[in-house]
Amino acid sequence: MNAAANTANAELPAVIKALYEKFGESAFVRQHTAEGMPTLWTGRDKVLAVLRYLRDEHRPRYEMLLDVTAIDERTRINRQGQPASDFTVVYHPTSFSGNCDIRIKVALQMNDLNMPTAIPLWSSANWQEREIWDLFGIVFTGHPNLSRILCPPTWKGHALRKDHPARATEMEPYRMSDEIQDREQEALRFKPEEWGLTRKSENSEFMFLNFGPNHPAAHGVIRFALQLDGENVLDVVPDVGYHHRGAEKMAERQTWHTFIPYTDRIDYLGGVMNNLPYVMAVEKMAGIKVPQRVEVIRVMLAEFFRICSHLLFYGTWAVDLGQLSPLFYCFVDREKAFNIIESITGARMHPGWFRIGGVAQDLPKGWDKLIREFVDYFPARLAEYDKMVMANSMIRQRTRGVGVIDTAGAFDWAMTGPALRATGLEWDYRKQRPYSGYENFEFEVPIGVNGDCYDRAAVRVEEMRQSCRIIKQCLENMPEGPYKADHPLTTPPIKEKSKLDIETLINHFLSVSWGPVMDPTEVTMTIEATKGLNMYYLINDGGIGSYRTRIRTPSFIHIQAIPFLSRGLMLADFTAVVATTDFVMADVDR
Amino acid sequence: MFEFVVGSPLNIVLILGAVLVAAALLIWVERRVLGFLNERLGPNRVGPWGIAQSLADVGKLITKEDWVPPFADKLPFIVAPIIVPVVMLLSFAVIPIAPGVGIMDLNIGLLWVLAMAGLGSYSAMLGGLASNNKFSLLGGLRAAGQMISYEVFMGISILGIVILSDSFNLREIVEAQHKHGWFVFPQFIGFIVFVIAGLAETKRWPFDLAEGESEIISGFNTEYSGMKFGLFFVGEYIGMLLLSALIPVLFFGGWYAPFGLELPNAIISGIFWMCAKTGCWIFFFILVRAALVRPRYDQLMNYGWLVMLPLSLLNLLVTGAVVLAQGN
Amino acid sequence: MNLLFYIAAVVSVLSTLIAITRVNVTHALLYFILSLISLATIFYTIGAHFAAVLEVIVYAGAIMVMYVFVAMMLNLGHATIDQERAWLKPTIWIGPSLMAAPLLAALVFVLLKDTSAAEMGHTVTAAKQVGIALFGPYVLAVELASMLLLAGLVGAYHLARK
Repeated sequence: MNAAANTANAELPAVIKALYEKFGESAFVRQHTAEGMPTLWTGRDKVLAVLRYLRDEHRPRYEMLLDVTAIDERTRINRQGQPASDFTVVYHPTSFSGNCDIRIKVALQMNDLNMPTAIPLWSSANWQEREIWDLFGIVFTGHPNLSRILCPPTWKGHALRKDHPARATEMEPYRMSDEIQDREQEALRFKPEEWGLTRKSENSEFMFLNFGPNHPAAHGVIRFALQLDGENVLDVVPDVGYHHRGAEKMAERQTWHTFIPYTDRIDYLGGVMNNLPYVMAVEKMAGIKVPQRVEVIRVMLAEFFRICSHLLFYGTWAVDLGQLSPLFYCFVDREKAFNIIESITGARMHPGWFRIGGVAQDLPKGWDKLIREFVDYFPARLAEYDKMVMANSMIRQRTRGVGVIDTAGAFDWAMTGPALRATGLEWDYRKQRPYSGYENFEFEVPIGVNGDCYDRAAVRVEEMRQSCRIIKQCLENMPEGPYKADHPLTTPPIKEKSKLDIETLINHFLSVSWGPVMDPTEVTMTIEATKGLNMYYLINDGGIGSYRTRIRTPSFIHIQAIPFLSRGLMLADFTAVVATTDFVMADVDR
Repeated sequence: MFEFVVGSPLNIVLILGAVLVAAALLIWVERRVLGFLNERLGPNRVGPWGIAQSLADVGKLITKEDWVPPFADKLPFIVAPIIVPVVMLLSFAVIPIAPGVGIMDLNIGLLWVLAMAGLGSYSAMLGGLASNNKFSLLGGLRAAGQMISYEVFMGISILGIVILSDSFNLREIVEAQHKHGWFVFPQFIGFIVFVIAGLAETKRWPFDLAEGESEIISGFNTEYSGMKFGLFFVGEYIGMLLLSALIPVLFFGGWYAPFGLELPNAIISGIFWMCAKTGCWIFFFILVRAALVRPRYDQLMNYGWLVMLPLSLLNLLVTGAVVLAQGN
Repeated sequence: MNLLFYIAAVVSVLSTLIAITRVNVTHALLYFILSLISLATIFYTIGAHFAAVLEVIVYAGAIMVMYVFVAMMLNLGHATIDQERAWLKPTIWIGPSLMAAPLLAALVFVLLKDTSAAEMGHTVTAAKQVGIALFGPYVLAVELASMLLLAGLVGAYHLARK
C-alpha cells in the first residue's frame, strides 16, 4: 500500500495541481488511497465553489456527479493524515471527456451537521442528499424537500450511523397495533402541497393517482404519485423505499467474504454482475491479481447476466406497450441462459459465485457444449424480435420522441449505462476503463441518436448482440489455468495447500473464519453493470470486514429522472418511460 | 326429421345454448392457441387437453366471495356486468346461421346489431363510474370515448352493404351475396374498417385500452371479482364470437359454401360453413392479440376520426354513386 | 302486441318519473336510459321498427353515453347529491307541477275524446319507406335540420379549440 502511495506522491495529478493553483494549497488536505484516485479534503464553505470549478472551468470538465455519500467516522480507528471529522460527506464527480474521477471530502462535526445543497450544480444531487439526511442525519440547507427517502417517514434515528442498531434483536420487539398501522398509513398519504404541486388549475381539477406500490407496470414496489389532467401527466413524484433492506448496514456486520451473497441481491437481475465490482474492489485492496482464466470466466458469466437482464427489460417493455408475446419469448431465452448459469454455478438468479481472488469452482466438464448451442441460437432469435418489436411501426409511434433526454440532461441527472449511450455518447466503462480483461475482447458500443424511449431500447437490444459476441470469444479463447489466485488472501484459500503441515492448516482456518485482513485504506471500483454504472466504495479500517460500504446503484439515480422524462406525456407514455428507465427496486432501495 | 323454422323454441334453445358453450370453449381455445403462439402450454390440466378449464374457472368464480366495494355505487355496479352478456346474446338473435336456423328474422337486423352494440358500451362505462376507483374511472372514460367513436365508423362502414343488397335484413344480405358474389370484394374498404371498428367495439386486444393492464391495472373492471367479473369476461368472448360470425354474414357469403363445396344437406352444409368461417375469424383475432401493440389513446382517436371516418364515408359515397350509375 | 304496448308504456312512465326524482345522477341516467328503451319498444309495437332501432342507436346508444361521459368527467361527489336533494324540496317543484297538472288533464281529455286513431300493429313502416318519405316530401326539413346540426358542429369545434 505504501509503495502505491509513494508513487502517487511523486507525481501530482493534473487536477490536483489545477485546484491548488485556483484555490490555494491551504484550502485542501490530500489523502492517499490504495486505488490512487485523487482525493482531497476541503472546507464546507469552499466545496460548492470547488465543485462548480470542476464542472465548468476545469479542463477536462467533470460533467457528472457520479455519487454523493457520507461516512460516520466516529468509531474509525485508522484515520492517519485525515482531518478530524465526525461525519464526512464525499462527493464523487466524474469526467467523461477526460475519463477520470476525483473524490472531494468535507469534514463535519457532530454539533454542526450542515451542508450546502449541490442541487443548483447537479439535479441528481437531490435524492442523494435526501438519502444522506435519511441515513446519517446531515442537513442540506437549501434543499427543496429534505424528507426521508429510504426509511419510512415515521422512522426514528438515522440508520447508517454507527450507534443505530443493526439487527432487530438489538431493538424492542416490533408489534403493529391498529394505531401504529393507522399512523403509518396516514404518513404514506400523498400530500401534493409538500411537493409544490397544486390541486387544481384555472379550469380543471387534477387527479392524483397512486401508480403503485403494487401496479402491473411499476416493475416492483415503487409508488409514483401522478398529477393528472385527464390522461396527461403533469408531474410525477416517485416514492421509493418499500424494498429497503439496509444492504450497506449489513456490509458493516459481515466479513469481506460473507458479504458476497448480499451483493447478488442488490440488482437481483444482475446476479454475479454484482459480485464483480465488490470482489474486484477487495482484490484491489489486497493486491490480488487474478489468473486470466478467472477473468474470462467472470466476463462470460457477467455477460450472460447482462443478456438475462436486458431480455427481461425487452419483454416487459413490450408488454408495457401492450404487446403480449415478446415477454414469453424473452423468458424462454432467459430460461436457456439460466440453464447455463445453473449448470456452471449451481444457482440461477443469485449464484454468489465469485470469490475474493477467483471464482467458487472451476467450469464443469462439457461447459462449452451448452454455451455453443446458446451463441448459435440466440442471434437468430434477436433478429426475430427485431422484426416483431423494434421494426413494428406501432411501437415506433409509441416510443419515438417520448421521454427524450439529451447528453447534457443525462449528465445533469447522472444517467449512465444504456440511458446515457442512447443520447449519442459513446462511453462504455468496459471500453474506456477496461476491467477484468475487457480490453482483450472485440465488441462494439452501440449508441442512440435521440435519447428517447426507442433509442434506449435499441441500445439494449444491440448490447445483447455484443454480449453474445463476447461470450463467443470467451468460449473460443478460454485460457487454461487455475480458477483461484495463488495469493495468501484468496478466500477461501486453495484447499490442496492447506493440508501440508500445521502452519498451513492454521492459515487455512484463519482465512476461512476471518477472511482476509488487509491494511486500512479506501477503494472504489466501478463497473458497467446491466443498468448503468455500479460502484462499490469500500472503507477498510483494518478489520475483518468493511467499515463502510457505499453501493452506488444506477437504478436509484435513474428513477429520480423519471419526472423530468415524463412531464407532459400521456399515461400510456409514462409506462413506456418507466419501462425504458429499466430499474430494479432492490437496486434502488438496497 | 323435424323442420327448422326461424324463431322456433327449439331453435332458440339450441342456438343460445350453443353460443354459451362456444363462448366457454372459446376461452379455453384462445388460451391454448395463445399459449402455443407464445411458446408455452396454456391450460392443459383439467380434462383432456385442458378442455374443461372454463368449467373449473366458472366453478371458481361462482364460489368466490362476491364482493361489492363499500365505496362503490351499488345499483350501477351490479347492473353493469349484466349488460354485456345480455346485449351480446340479443345481438346473436339476428345472426342467420343456416336456412331456417336462427332466432329472429328481423327486417332491420343490421340496425339491431348496431343498437345492441351501442347499449353494450354502457357496461364498461357504468362499471368504471360506479366502482369509484380512479383506475376504473380512467378505464370507463377510455371505453366511452373509444366505443362511441368506433360505433360511428362501424355503422357507416356497413352502409355500403345495405346499398348493394338493398336491405337491412341479414338473411337477405346473405342471399344477395349468393347472387352477386361476396361483398368483401366490392366493399373491401368497408370490410377493413368494419373489422377494425369491430375489434375496437369488443375491446379486444390491441384495442383493450379500457382495460390497459400495464397502464390502468384492469381499467373499468378493477374492482370486480367473482361472477361479476366472470360476466364481463364471458361477455367479451360472446362479443368476439358475434363479431366473428357477423363478418362472414356481411362479407363472406354467410352459410353458403365457397367454391361450390356444398355438403349434401342444405342445413348441415350451412351450419358447417358458417361455423368454419366463424372459426377462421376467431383464429384471426387470436393471432391479432398475440402480435399487435396497443395504441395510445389519442393515437386511437386520431386514427379513428382522421383515417377510418373519411375512408368509410368515401366508401359509402363511391358505392352509392356506382349503384346510381348502374341503376340508370 | 297490445299487452306489450301497455307494459312498455307503464315502464316508460315509471322510469321517467324515477329518473326525475333521483338525486344521484348515475341512477337518474340509468332510469332515463330504461325509459328510452321502453319508448323504443312502444315504437316497435306500433310498427315503426326503424324508428324503434334509431331511438336505441341515437338516444340510448349515443346521446345518453355522452351524458354518462360528462357525469364521469365532472366526477360528481356527495356535494352535488346534497345540492340535488335541496332542489327536490316540495317548495321548488310544487308550483310548476300544479300549473302543469291542468295541461295534463286537458291532454288526457283530448286523447280520450279522439277515437279516430287506427288500430295499432297493422301497418309496418319499413326503413325504405322512411327513407323515401324523408328524402321525398320532407327533403326541405331534412336539409334544414342538417344545416342546423352542421352549425352546431362548427360551433362546438370552435368552442373546443379554445
